[in-house]
Amino acid sequence: MSNDNTQRTVTVSIQRFDPDVDKKPHMQDYQVEMTKGMTILDALHEIKTHQDGSVTYRRSCRHGICGSCAMLINGRNTLACKTPLIDEVGHKNRVTLGPLPYLPIIKDMVVDRTTFWEQYLRVKPWLIPPDDIPEKEFRMSKEEVNALHDAESCIMCGACYSSCTVIGLNKHYVGPHALLKAFMRVMDPRDEAPGQRLADLDGADGVYRCHTVFNCIDACPKGLNPTQAIETLRKLAQKRKKFETTRRKRQQHLHEPIPAK
Amino acid sequence: MRVFQLQRWSAIALLFFLTIHMIVVHYPPFHINFDNILVRLENPVWKVIDILFLLSVLVHALTGAYQVITDVDRAFDYRKGLAWAAAVIGVVAFVYGAATIWAFQLPV
Ligand code: FES
Repeated sequence: MSNDNTQRTVTVSIQRFDPDVDKKPHMQDYQVEMTKGMTILDALHEIKTHQDGSVTYRRSCRHGICGSCAMLINGRNTLACKTPLIDEVGHKNRVTLGPLPYLPIIKDMVVDRTTFWEQYLRVKPWLIPPDDIPEKEFRMSKEEVNALHDAESCIMCGACYSSCTVIGLNKHYVGPHALLKAFMRVMDPRDEAPGQRLADLDGADGVYRCHTVFNCIDACPKGLNPTQAIETLRKLAQKRKKFETTRRKRQQHLHEPIPAK
Repeated sequence: MRVFQLQRWSAIALLFFLTIHMIVVHYPPFHINFDNILVRLENPVWKVIDILFLLSVLVHALTGAYQVITDVDRAFDYRKGLAWAAAVIGVVAFVYGAATIWAFQLPV
């Protein structure tokens, strides 16, 4: 929890890189007057508006919803709009900002997320409904909803993806963000193709590539648990046929009311 | 069977064989001497145990090395070749090791 009580000047050290001018990234310091409740994103706005218009970063919602402001803050991937400046400056009065690691830098803190989105689309993150769609609604039990582990609250910021050391070495790997989405679809009783999804993730670049380093959990600004999701997918991938049969049976009753306990 | 599963199963086997190995070779509850070791190495039951131990070490080491090497982007593209190389190394090492263990006889 932040304790906003001091107004002071802090140093914001930003990794700069302009591919038209620079051969490699370098750090540049800016002095910012810290005000009450100021976030890292506010500090960046302050710098861009009053000191150096060339500082480049992504942002949109400013409320931790769009996921575009994810960056490396003091060596940790998180959202700039959600992080109070006072929590990061410490006794050195300094915060270091950089782009998300393991992704090509376009400029300053803007990275090329092509591989991120390619891997995301690879797992078909949309729901594949059964042929027999109920007239009114699908009925899911509380347990079934809970089993999704809040996976639907992922905002696709890329913090987990670019903190994953496997991704750092191998861009073929699906990545924790996409696997979390795949988990969500596989566990969703309305989804028609969990078997096919599990088969797709069963290869050398799928669920087994994860080394259980837990960096994704540490990085997720929404407190989600992609590692747990990957572990579950691994287990299900090994008993895919049985899982498919159970799903088929469940789908026959998806339109029926859930019996009260 | 998947490389992942092979590695997990061999890890479980290793846990078992390593425990035996540590007790018998490094911390024996009896007095250790050269004659005892020769008798053990000549015993067919121990030979089978040692061969299975060798097998789990080889499977675990080679699948582990394969996984780590194919973590790297460039090596990933050659994973078929690497898998074959690991299999050949494994078979050769196993045959050589198992034959050596099995051939042991007490010196006359
Ligand atoms: S600006 Fe949208 S999450 Fe930070």
